[in-house]
Parts: sequence; structure tokens; C-alpha cells
Amino acid sequence: MKGPAIEIVGLGHKYNDILVLHDVDLSIDRGEIFGFLGHNGAGKTTTVNILTTLIRPTLGRALVNGHDVATERRLVTADIGYLPSEVRMYPHMTATENLTFFAELSGVEKAKHAVAETLEYLDCSDLADRRVGSFSTGMRQRIGIAQAIVHRPSVLFLDEPTAGLDPSGIRQLRRTILDLNRDLGMTVFMNTHQLSEVSRVCTTIGVLSRGELIYKDSMEATTRRFPDETSLEDIYVQMEGSPA
Amino acid sequence: MASDRRHRVLTIARHEYRAAARSRILVVLLAILVIATAGSVIVAAAEYASRLADYQAYHAAAVAGGVTQIAPSPLAPLSLLRGAFEYIEIIGAVIAITLGYLTVSRERVNRTLPLLMSRPVTSGELAAGSLLGAVGVIVTLVVATMAVAVLSVGLVGHDWINVGQAGKLMLAFGVAVVYMATFYCLGAFTTASTKVATNGLMVALGIWLFVVLVLPQIGDTLDADNQIPGGLFAALGLGHDGEVQILTHFTAYETVRTSIEAASFAKHFERFAFAMTDVKERFRSLSLPDLFFQVRASIVWILIYATALPIALNHSFRNQPSIPQGET
Repeated sequence: MKGPAIEIVGLGHKYNDILVLHDVDLSIDRGEIFGFLGHNGAGKTTTVNILTTLIRPTLGRALVNGHDVATERRLVTADIGYLPSEVRMYPHMTATENLTFFAELSGVEKAKHAVAETLEYLDCSDLADRRVGSFSTGMRQRIGIAQAIVHRPSVLFLDEPTAGLDPSGIRQLRRTILDLNRDLGMTVFMNTHQLSEVSRVCTTIGVLSRGELIYKDSMEATTRRFPDETSLEDIYVQMEGSPA
Repeated sequence: MASDRRHRVLTIARHEYRAAARSRILVVLLAILVIATAGSVIVAAAEYASRLADYQAYHAAAVAGGVTQIAPSPLAPLSLLRGAFEYIEIIGAVIAITLGYLTVSRERVNRTLPLLMSRPVTSGELAAGSLLGAVGVIVTLVVATMAVAVLSVGLVGHDWINVGQAGKLMLAFGVAVVYMATFYCLGAFTTASTKVATNGLMVALGIWLFVVLVLPQIGDTLDADNQIPGGLFAALGLGHDGEVQILTHFTAYETVRTSIEAASFAKHFERFAFAMTDVKERFRSLSLPDLFFQVRASIVWILIYATALPIALNHSFRNQPSIPQGET
């Protein structure tokens, strides 16, 4: 495939006549791990919801793998993975049953084999036959990632993936994101509050404030500009316009 | 492309069936339906067994006495299933509404709709798959009820139904599946159309109350024949033709009364099922085409309801937001 993995032009969205996303332009190349920063209510989740076709944009255009999210929904959804901020699956079903269901919906042949392979890849085969309703937050997150990648999408959307995880869970997730990017060549679009995650995992970052994209650059250039994490945090707060 | 669509619809149907099978509330409701049906049919079959024994004794005595023209048995084993159909009409409709409510509320409570809709699945496929899965559950339920009812007639009533009767019974139970599937669509439609799922359930149960209990009750209460126990026209010594002749003098009244009944989907199901199972004596001697002709209006109404509700279900699924409104 040619062209950027994600291309957003003049994207806007209104909820009940309130503009929550305004004129966002963004291009993310294939193979990038993009960190999308912003305060609560900045419009990060709305952006992901638009890119995953869950809501239609009010203004502008968004393309994933060259396909319009508003008019080519099936083509977009066939090749993306999505992990919502709060992973909730069917609690009465086992992890394997949940994952097989989602794999089959994505048209995966030999779905059970793909599920076993994915669980093994994520080192959580031990969870396969347990009911999801009994899982801890960390376990649910791992199974959530498994459902997002079981059909081997080329673009993975993660909405606040570290929310509610303990430090070891965060470390494991970080490793997983890097592995997915390296082993499977997935482009990753990650909404997050965690500056530490951004600096350790992402290749590019963007900052969204009050629905507007106010910063976008490579991690390398950003690190040069803000050499330590404290200065990155300072500049983030400054860009947000919040009291330091 | 079409096979992909079929594959997704079947995947959703299997998922729906599994979820329903694991729902405790549905298992409890199913048990109530089967127990109520068995109870009703067993009591009727016990009385039937004694009447059958009486007839057989009369028949044997007549043969022994050299009588050549013996009156045929007035007994109709299928009519023992009246209770089964009445329970399907009332409890079956509640089960179907609950099933429809659970289809929608399950996705809302589990917050799995965003995960579903981030896959290459359309809302139409979701509606079709859910309905297909629900039909699978309903068929299981109806077959279980039918098996209990038929076995009760055979084992307690000592009269096993023949092939022709089995065919009519299959038709009646087939329409029972359509009847329940339509109520499933109602439950899912009202739930998907309301922000709070339980409000949708309440609306569906309100409609059920009106359609299944209130409207037929009004129609029955206004029926001239029901004004005295045993039937007014029977007391007057009038057959069906006489009844029809008298009612021609009350055309306006009868039009209002039958219109009230005609608005009830449940009444149409009842008319069809009772016609197929010999509950109404005047239908017992009719051939299948004649039976269809007699209940043609009910067949048309059942088809109208059974077409309109799935369309409404599809529409409500299409308008259902994939994510809770207001989340940014």
C-alpha cells in the first residue's frame, strides 16, 4: 500500500452544536507509533471514534489506508484494530470464545487457530479458557489487545491503553506495542495522558487542545527540543494553557 | 462478498444463540412455559383418556351387537394442545420480548457495541444475525414445548396423533415460531429505540399487555355468543349458519368488535393455531386448503406483522449510536 496510513484534512465534529474537534489536519506514515496527547475532553477519543468509523465526522475528511472513513466503512474496518479505553467483552464467554467471535466477524479463516496463535504471541495462553467476567483490569487489557490484533490489521488504534494498569502492566503493554510495530509492521495510533509512555514508545507525537491540533513532530525532534521529561511536561502544560 | 455477508450473519446468529442459552432468566422462563404446557396438556389428556375409553367401550359394544353404522369418534386429540398454544400466546410472547430486550441491552451493558461496529459488520447484518439467532432459540423452545405436549397426549391420553395431524401441528407450531419471532423484533426494536434499555422493555411489555390480553378480552366480552356459559347460540339451538344469519342484523356492532380483535396479532395467531388443532369443532372436518381459506384474514395479518416488525428492527439498529452519546 502506498501513501500515509492515516490522513486527516480539516476534520471537525460537533456534539449537540458544540464543536469538539476543529479543523484538524494530520498525516501519519506507515509504521509510525503516533502518540496523541491532550487533556480530558480535548477531542482525542472523538478523533479515534471517527477514524474507527464509530461516528461520522461533521466536517472535513479522514482516510485510513487511503479509504474514507465516512463512505468506505467496510474497507476501513477490514484493516484496523481498536482497543477502547475501557475494555469490556462478553463476560459469560471465555477469552477464546470472545476472540473467536471477533476474529470470525473480521473474516479470519481458521479463527480458533489464529486466536491460539495471538494468545501465544501475547504470552497469555493461560487465559484462553477462562471466562472474561473473572478477569482483572490487566488481564482484560491483554485480551483486549488480542481482539484488536487477532485479524492482523495494518493500523491499530489504542484509546488510553494504560488507564487502570499497574506499573508492570504498563511495562508489558509498552513492550507489546513495540513488538507489534516491529514484528507485524503495524502503524499504531495511541491516545494517552502518559508523557512517559509517549517518550518511550512513540516515534511521532501530536498535542490536541480544545479540539485543535497545536503540535505535531517526530519524537526525535521533540526530544531535541525538550531534552528531559520534566521539560516536556512543562511545555505540554504551557501549550494547554493550564496553570503549571 | 455475499458469502462474507452470510458468514458474518451466521457468526452473529451463533453468538446470539449461545448468549441466550446461557441467560438464566430465559432458562427460567422456558421452564415455566414447558411446565405450564405439560400441566395443561396432562390434565386435559387425563380427561380425554377416560372419554376415549368410553367411546372404545361403546364401539366394542356396537360391533358385538352387529351394528354396522357406528358413529365416528367425536374426540380430537390435537384439541388437547389448546393450552400449549394459549401459553405460547401469552408466556411465549413475554419470552420473545425478553430475548429481544437482552439482545440490545447485552451490548449496552457490556459496552461491546463499539468493538462490534469497529469490525466490517453493518447494522443490517447485526439485525439479521440477531434475529436469526433468536429464531434458533425460539425453534428450540417451540420444539421442546411441542415434544412435551405430544408426548403428554400419547402417554396420558392414550391416543397418538397420526401423520396428517402431525402435519397440521407442524404448521401451527411453525406459525408459533413466526409469532414469537415477531415479538422478539418488538422487544429489540423498542429497546434499541430508547436511551434507557429498561424503558424499551416496559414499552414492549405495555404493547404485549394490550395486544395479547386487553384487545382479545374486549373482543371476547363483546361477543354475543359469550354472553351466557356454553354459548348463546348453542343455548338457542342454532348452529354456525344460524349464528351468522342473526349477526347480519348487527353488522355495525360486529364490525367494531371484529376490528378490535383484528388489531390483535395474538388473536390472529390463536385463530390459526386453533383452526389447525381442531379446537373449533366446525373446522374439524375441513381439508387443509379449506382451513387456510377460513383463516385467510389471520394469515394475511400475521404476514403483515411478521414483515413490519423485522423492518422496524433493522431501522432501529441502523439508528442506534455505536458509542454512548456524549462521550468525547
